[in-house]
Amino acid sequence: MNDIVPLMGIETEYGIIRENIEDSDPVEESMALLKACEQKSVFQLWAYFRERTHTDQRGFSVERLAQDEEEDEFCKEDRKRPYSYWDMKCDRVLTNGSRFYNDHTHPEYSTPECANIFDLVAHDRAGEYIVAECARLRNKALGEDSIQLFKNNTDYIGHSYGTHDNYLIPRALSFQQWVDGLVPFLVTRQLYAGSGKVGTECKELAPFEKLQLSQRADFIECLLSIETMTQRPIVNTRDEPHAASDKYRRLHLILGDANMSPYATALKVGTTQLVLTLIGEDKLGAVPELSEPVWDIKEVSRDLTGTIPLKRKNGKFISPLEIQEFYLEKAQAFCSGQREDWDWILKEWERTLNDLKNFPEKLSDRIDWAIKKELFGEFMEAENLGWDDPWMKSLDLEYHNIDPERGLFRGLEEEGRIPQFFPEEKVTQAMDAPPDGSRAMIRGKAVEHCADSIKNIHWTGVEYKDGSYSDLTRVITTEEVYEALKLEKERFA
Amino acid sequence: MSDPLRREEKKDAPSEKRDDGPKKPDVSSPGKDNILKRMRKVDPKQSEKYKQRTGE
Repeated sequence: MNDIVPLMGIETEYGIIRENIEDSDPVEESMALLKACEQKSVFQLWAYFRERTHTDQRGFSVERLAQDEEEDEFCKEDRKRPYSYWDMKCDRVLTNGSRFYNDHTHPEYSTPECANIFDLVAHDRAGEYIVAECARLRNKALGEDSIQLFKNNTDYIGHSYGTHDNYLIPRALSFQQWVDGLVPFLVTRQLYAGSGKVGTECKELAPFEKLQLSQRADFIECLLSIETMTQRPIVNTRDEPHAASDKYRRLHLILGDANMSPYATALKVGTTQLVLTLIGEDKLGAVPELSEPVWDIKEVSRDLTGTIPLKRKNGKFISPLEIQEFYLEKAQAFCSGQREDWDWILKEWERTLNDLKNFPEKLSDRIDWAIKKELFGEFMEAENLGWDDPWMKSLDLEYHNIDPERGLFRGLEEEGRIPQFFPEEKVTQAMDAPPDGSRAMIRGKAVEHCADSIKNIHWTGVEYKDGSYSDLTRVITTEEVYEALKLEKERFA
Repeated sequence: MSDPLRREEKKDAPSEKRDDGPKKPDVSSPGKDNILKRMRKVDPKQSEKYKQRTGE
């Protein structure tokens, strides 16, 4: 376990559509999908009263979180539906400690908290399998294959939904210290973490029909904000640690893309964990501060070479690749030889930046945007199409379809063009079992052994009908987890 | 040890020759035909029909 970043997690909102209905209703379809789930779970027992989504890391609270006018109208209509809030949410907590529910009309899978990068990647992938299985069951019930789920972040006409990566970090450092160290890294992380998008949804920049690095960059509008549905920031300021708030913060990053490639997911969360470790250990030093990071994030996304000059606060220029190399060098100097998963990240981070610089074609077996570039390039050549053909956006969407029979990424895996990242057993095991050494073990065991006794459940604890409560807010390290498990021995016998 | 690490060890084994340049596309691969077939089945209008609501 890492002292600076002891736990990490990924939340993924999926796109959902029923293809044979002209105006597919995402509320109805998401509810039906969650109800189709056959994974062992507790249903509709999420402890919403323990949430504090309106508290800001900068020391204030907001009365409400904003959404755009269109979504306001949709919500007005939603209130007329014959369902309660609980009905629409359909919350499930599974035996692997994850949460699977409906968030803002999208089925969302939130992985259990993981201490290890590879565990997190396995659980993210397990989430895809669980969601895909629900779609299969729902289609079976309908007697057709109309329900399709997409692990992406856009509908190409301006509606985005998120893939959030989360890191538990010490409260001891000020929030501004984390922000200062992170911003240039986050603006340029898309060089390998971007999942690629055909076209743009950004009205402030010139029209763009080709492939860009990131799905989400077009939707980033400010540096800091508590908002998630409008005014999306580079660093989200929600202060909801899901742990003891005197000791911890949770860094809630909402700028990232949904990666289909497990390798890209590993590199995204692994490099972020290393940078946070450098900040927390005071080993990063002065970073190359950017003059216009919010503007830059969109410009970086439109340049597949990583060489576009970005203006620094000191008036000089630096490329996205050079920024990443700065962070890599710092991480190599401090983090090498400490953990096997870190060494893997360091080695692959270096290999990926070198390949981008010298042989970008080599990225097409592991980095989502580069896979798309090669694959779509072949298709355009075969069909004599350009990037502006509507078919290209449809292919872009289908890359993210999680149906193994249809999805393009799934097809590439099946054909062996994308090397398998994990043996299948590691992922199928993660569908049921929580990650070792994480407090998710306690939540998962509660669901596995005591489902009927649970009154409510949350990231921070489990309340039982007999009045007892397992408080997980200070159960963070592996030692604390095993100590807490000893106390729960009788309950889980 | 985690499996991605094992995969890396295999990749870096001394007996294996390392690449120094861009790979030549494997045009003979049957997989390429299969994935192209899968791509041709995609409705060109699919993205236009795909409407979602804003999420987080």
